[in-house]
Amino acid sequence: MRADLYTAPLLFLLGAAMAYGGWTMDRLEIRQIHPASIPGLVPMLLGVSLAIASVVLFIQARAQVAANAVSDMPEQATGSRRDMIVAALLCCIYALGLIGRLPFPAATGLFVTAFIIAFEAHRDMSRAQLVKVCIIGAGLGIAVAATISVLFRYAFLVRLP
Amino acid sequence: MIDTFVRLGDAFATLTTWQMLFHAAWATLLGIAVGSLPGLTATMGVALLTTLTYALPRDAAIMVLICMYVGAIYGGSRSAILLNIPGTPASAATTLDGFPLAKQGRAAYAMSVATTGSSLGTLIGIAMLVALAPALSNLALKFGSFEYFWLAVFGVVISGQLTAGNAPVKGYIAGILGLTVAMVGSEGLHAYVRFSFGFSELNGGIGLIPAMVGAFGFAEVLMVMWQPKGAVVRSQREKGAGLPRFRETWKYRVTVLRSGIIGTFVGLIPGVGEDIGAWASYAAAKRASKEKDQYGKGSIEGLTAAETGNSAVVPGALIPALTLAVPGSAPAAVLIAALFIHGIRPGPMIMIEQPDFIYSVAVMLLFATVAIFAFGISLAPVFEFVLRIPRERLMPVVFALCVIGPYALTQRIFDIWVMVFFGIFGFALRRLGYPMAPLVLGIILGDLLDKNLRRGLTLSDGDLSPFFTRPLCMVFVALIAFTILASIPTIRKNTSFIAGSLLRLGKDT
Repeated sequence: MRADLYTAPLLFLLGAAMAYGGWTMDRLEIRQIHPASIPGLVPMLLGVSLAIASVVLFIQARAQVAANAVSDMPEQATGSRRDMIVAALLCCIYALGLIGRLPFPAATGLFVTAFIIAFEAHRDMSRAQLVKVCIIGAGLGIAVAATISVLFRYAFLVRLP
Repeated sequence: MIDTFVRLGDAFATLTTWQMLFHAAWATLLGIAVGSLPGLTATMGVALLTTLTYALPRDAAIMVLICMYVGAIYGGSRSAILLNIPGTPASAATTLDGFPLAKQGRAAYAMSVATTGSSLGTLIGIAMLVALAPALSNLALKFGSFEYFWLAVFGVVISGQLTAGNAPVKGYIAGILGLTVAMVGSEGLHAYVRFSFGFSELNGGIGLIPAMVGAFGFAEVLMVMWQPKGAVVRSQREKGAGLPRFRETWKYRVTVLRSGIIGTFVGLIPGVGEDIGAWASYAAAKRASKEKDQYGKGSIEGLTAAETGNSAVVPGALIPALTLAVPGSAPAAVLIAALFIHGIRPGPMIMIEQPDFIYSVAVMLLFATVAIFAFGISLAPVFEFVLRIPRERLMPVVFALCVIGPYALTQRIFDIWVMVFFGIFGFALRRLGYPMAPLVLGIILGDLLDKNLRRGLTLSDGDLSPFFTRPLCMVFVALIAFTILASIPTIRKNTSFIAGSLLRLGKDT
């Protein structure tokens, strides 16, 4: 696939960085360890392997592009990019932004409600339909937040974030 | 032989309590529901449920996870038949004949064929688990550092080769990335902290559970929201269609047996998994079938082969997981992490330290099989209802569990960040065509590879020859070389040409 032409150099850089990191890693001479057991040995080997594999990937991808036998994406390209981006944003805001700042039940309730409303509410809906979606979203949000919080707090004795 | 049956009997007597039967029942039901829903995979189910079993006693926790695993692999057939979307990747081959049967109005019949096939596949796998696991454990006792190093390399290479379709190099890259992830944190020989970049949270390394929940939970949530929705085919209520299909099973007994054996052996191969088991069984059944033209149009034999094959992988995948601590599939990788959490050390010493545990696992698998058979036959309409839950209402619940699950293990917010990182990373890798199984296997095997390479070199005083001259090492090296060479298109083409020529020559003479 065409994207491999761009990911292969990135992977090569990662491999080179790994190999360099392994090479410059402390060899613990002060502890008099066996030179063959230095901590950087395997990262070095992995870095070199990754660099070689990325070169093979690049060569294969270029050959495919030359033969015009590439697809842009491996799976069906009929998916909704908008839905995926909205879902990813909501999930990241919840996991990285709300958790730790709001009590867990409140954060979870907000997230579930927002997620349902974001995907079920449409512009062409009537006001009554929108209100119904909001009520369903809020109801499910409260129910899910309460169930998960009670389960983890009291059944599994977890101190919630 | 008698000793085996005595131990199995003991395990059966110990585990047959009301509490354990209750755990088996609810976990299998939940597993079937998880497997039924496209996007919720067996790996995700086992990973999320692991976080819910911390407080359970050891046997109950393992029982719950095994029942979830068996149930989810079986449950995938529901959406494969009714939606033409495999509920889990394991059921991809099931769609070929299951969905055509559903379109002919025989969905209930197809589901009962799948139920019978899955149950028999798991039973064949259990028999082979009991027969092979102790022997493999004894063999593994002969492994030293040199052999363990090659075992880890072999696992990553074979998993990369078999799961990446027509681009094995992507499988290898995924495996190397997994091994790279395992390099983060304190290493096993000198406790030196590698690649922590100043984050004290990384000193202990990256936790397997947050990484798995991210790669299989969050990434799946994003995949489900990306993919178009499926439409459920309504099954007609044929008289007796939902009853067990013993007559068909007897008719296709050779296919069932062959698929069960193939599935179990595919399970034995590190990191390969149920989808390959199903495809291999399906291909073998089609090749040997007298009714090849029916395949893809609603063949009962094809459906039976796919379902028997994928279910037989489950016990097969547990054989190396228990005896070598090398998972045969992605859910088995999570199960290994769960075993450590519950104080069981999988590996060659298991038959010495906890000799009865393998038999307990066999009995747990048996309970799960009975449960999928009973629920599969009796609750078919309920699972049809589960398939109708809108993804917009299900996915936020799944993600909330993805957040709280990894947090519950260590109570660190950092593990939530790890989960999010691996979710986005896993989603991107999938979109770019990289398989997830070698990545997971790499994370699991990284420590084994690292420690044993350096320990072996220390033992041999830096001499590489023991890595190539010890008998078991030679076998591993030959297998690895063959696997890598077979992935090079020119060599593959030439060898198949030479083999074809030799075959023709043999026929002529």
